[in-house]
Amino acid sequence: MRREPARGRRSGDDVSRASAAGLQLEVFPPGDDDLGVSTRAQFVARAVVAGGALTAGGVLVAGLPRIAVSAPSPAQDQKILNFALLLEYIESGFYAEAFAKGKLTGNLLEYVTIVRGHERAHVAFLKGALGDKARKEPKLDFGETTSDPEKFTTAAIALEETVIAAYNGQAANLTKGTLNEAAKIVSVEARHAGWIRAIAGRNPAPNATDQPKTGAEVQAEIKRTRFLRAG
Amino acid sequence: MSDLTLGELDRDGAIREAVEQVSGETRTAFLGRAAVGGAALLGALAAPGRSEATAASDVAILNYALTLEYLQAAFYTETERFGAVGGELKRVPPQLGAVERAHVEAIKAALGRAAVKRPAFDFQGVTEDQSKFLRTAVAFEDLGAAAYKAQAPRIKSSALLAAAVSIHSVEARHAAWMRYLAGATPAANAFDQGKPESEVRAIVASTHFIVRHPKSTASKRPKYTG
Amino acid sequence: MAKGVAGQRAIIRALAVGAAAIAAAVIAVLVWSRPSSPSPVVEEAQALPASPRPALSVPRPVRLRESPGAAYWASVRRDVSARELASLRAPTVTRLVRTTPEETANIVLVLGRARDESGRLWVHVRLPVLPNGRTGWVPRSALGGYGLVHTHLVIDLERLTATLLRDERPILRAPIGVGKPAWPTPEGEFYIRNRLSRYSSPFYGPLAFGTSARSSVLTDWPGGGFVGIHGTNAPELLPGRVSHGCVRLRNEDILELGRLMPVGTPVTIR
Repeated sequence: MRREPARGRRSGDDVSRASAAGLQLEVFPPGDDDLGVSTRAQFVARAVVAGGALTAGGVLVAGLPRIAVSAPSPAQDQKILNFALLLEYIESGFYAEAFAKGKLTGNLLEYVTIVRGHERAHVAFLKGALGDKARKEPKLDFGETTSDPEKFTTAAIALEETVIAAYNGQAANLTKGTLNEAAKIVSVEARHAGWIRAIAGRNPAPNATDQPKTGAEVQAEIKRTRFLRAG
Repeated sequence: MSDLTLGELDRDGAIREAVEQVSGETRTAFLGRAAVGGAALLGALAAPGRSEATAASDVAILNYALTLEYLQAAFYTETERFGAVGGELKRVPPQLGAVERAHVEAIKAALGRAAVKRPAFDFQGVTEDQSKFLRTAVAFEDLGAAAYKAQAPRIKSSALLAAAVSIHSVEARHAAWMRYLAGATPAANAFDQGKPESEVRAIVASTHFIVRHPKSTASKRPKYTG
Repeated sequence: MAKGVAGQRAIIRALAVGAAAIAAAVIAVLVWSRPSSPSPVVEEAQALPASPRPALSVPRPVRLRESPGAAYWASVRRDVSARELASLRAPTVTRLVRTTPEETANIVLVLGRARDESGRLWVHVRLPVLPNGRTGWVPRSALGGYGLVHTHLVIDLERLTATLLRDERPILRAPIGVGKPAWPTPEGEFYIRNRLSRYSSPFYGPLAFGTSARSSVLTDWPGGGFVGIHGTNAPELLPGRVSHGCVRLRNEDILELGRLMPVGTPVTIR
């Protein structure tokens, strides 16, 4: 009696390719709910995974090291926090001026009213943490972004996105105590980003991860805003 | 022989220091060639810079994160399948479901055989009712973000920490978005507090969403009609 | 001619002065309008340590795939009356209990959901009772979590084949034995209720599945007995009409079915 080709026997079946490669397949547990990956891709993913990620003892197989990371230290924390303070000064100044100019209404007014308080608190916290090592308040020029609702929205989104990427970029370089506090701040910045994007009718969370940015990349973003003035 | 962890071999931290970086693409390619078991560890150590053993505590943290991601993924997936949610919430289950499923895949791939299995869930109608769904989504996203915050300082691998913070901020965005949709303040405080694992697990347990898989097999002799 | 040369030099001098003036003006404009790039910030940003590359490789989020032929089942969480309608006032169709006679979780196939006047959620379910094909309504709170399957088993009593479909595409087909004329395998819509293994009974082969289908004619078992799908120690009889109602497969086929078909799979017998 003719039997239909069962799993693993159709040509082009990812399952048969994976098993032919000699990788041990995890038995597909019948009834496992679809988690959004096609069944065949799930087989392949499990095959790759079973091929050798972690052993029972816990070896996470890694590739070649890239750039050597400089070990966390209080001195390094200081550098990073001073940079964070610059970003918070920019945000704080931006929202304070927008609030003061009084040209925002509705959802934007609610947003700026609450968020300016948060950024002010972030500045205060970082100044306190840095003590006499804290940078001076920078000279800032926000142009029309603090009086025109559309320009405000665009600028707010750009600022919040940059700040998230900056914190995410430096998190692993901080000492644990400082990281603990920085996480509480970036969490709020991420909420700000979700919030202002929702107000703007944009996808609040378009990506599965928020990629980190390097110091140089963040500096380029800040330069693009033209908010920072010399002096 | 028992599998060894790097901690037991790398007393002066030299190897760990040399292998701080993990490259995503290279690692995936390397996975395809790697053997399993003690041989892999020894072989890898012979070429320092090619592998790093994950601290047992990092494995535990990853599995804890995986459980929370399984929970969120299943919650949004089931809600999408039942079509219970519409109006301005319509894109939420498909989008958040897709993202949480991607988080699940990422953590499972990193853990391999060490990954905890996906549990069974009973959402007791919450995935079938729009307002219950939204309230629960707010709670889940707030909880997920709080969990990541408390774990971040405990993560030993800096590459893993970088990955964790890049996921954490997405959960915080989700939390703000769900609150926005629910008419609640998206960002109530200037500083968000973390929640320790024991508290998070207690909250999850109190929902009774995670259940035992129903027993569907038995070793009994069939009493069928034959 | 002195006048011409002097004139030329004057012109050149004038041009030179003019050019210089223009150049100065241009430079002045450039300097004045160029955005200030505070160099301390640049140095500071570049002095920040590099970011380690994240260890997790998160794949691109993927939408749920279309699931033609997806079916839900749920376990019975507490003993409950299944009713004719989604209402506590409706008559009882049957009493559902939490466990099967084989001591597995009792499960029901989900056909639909609705709310009653007070907003309580009810689930329409396929029942493992006679007459075959009975359905009823239970409160959502009486059921456990939903299980999802993508498979469907079709038993063809004329062709004497069992075909397993996944996403409505056949992935297994096998010859079967079905009920003799006096003890026919019932036709209709059913589901796989549980799975038995590691018993020693060559008559049933290595693996057996319990269905929700009852035999309406056989009287030696209480309630008419359940129709099972199982292996056999007489494969030479297949395909054929040989049993008391059960569906028999060759042992290699029942084992393959066991790898592919989860509990909760809907079963059509026609």
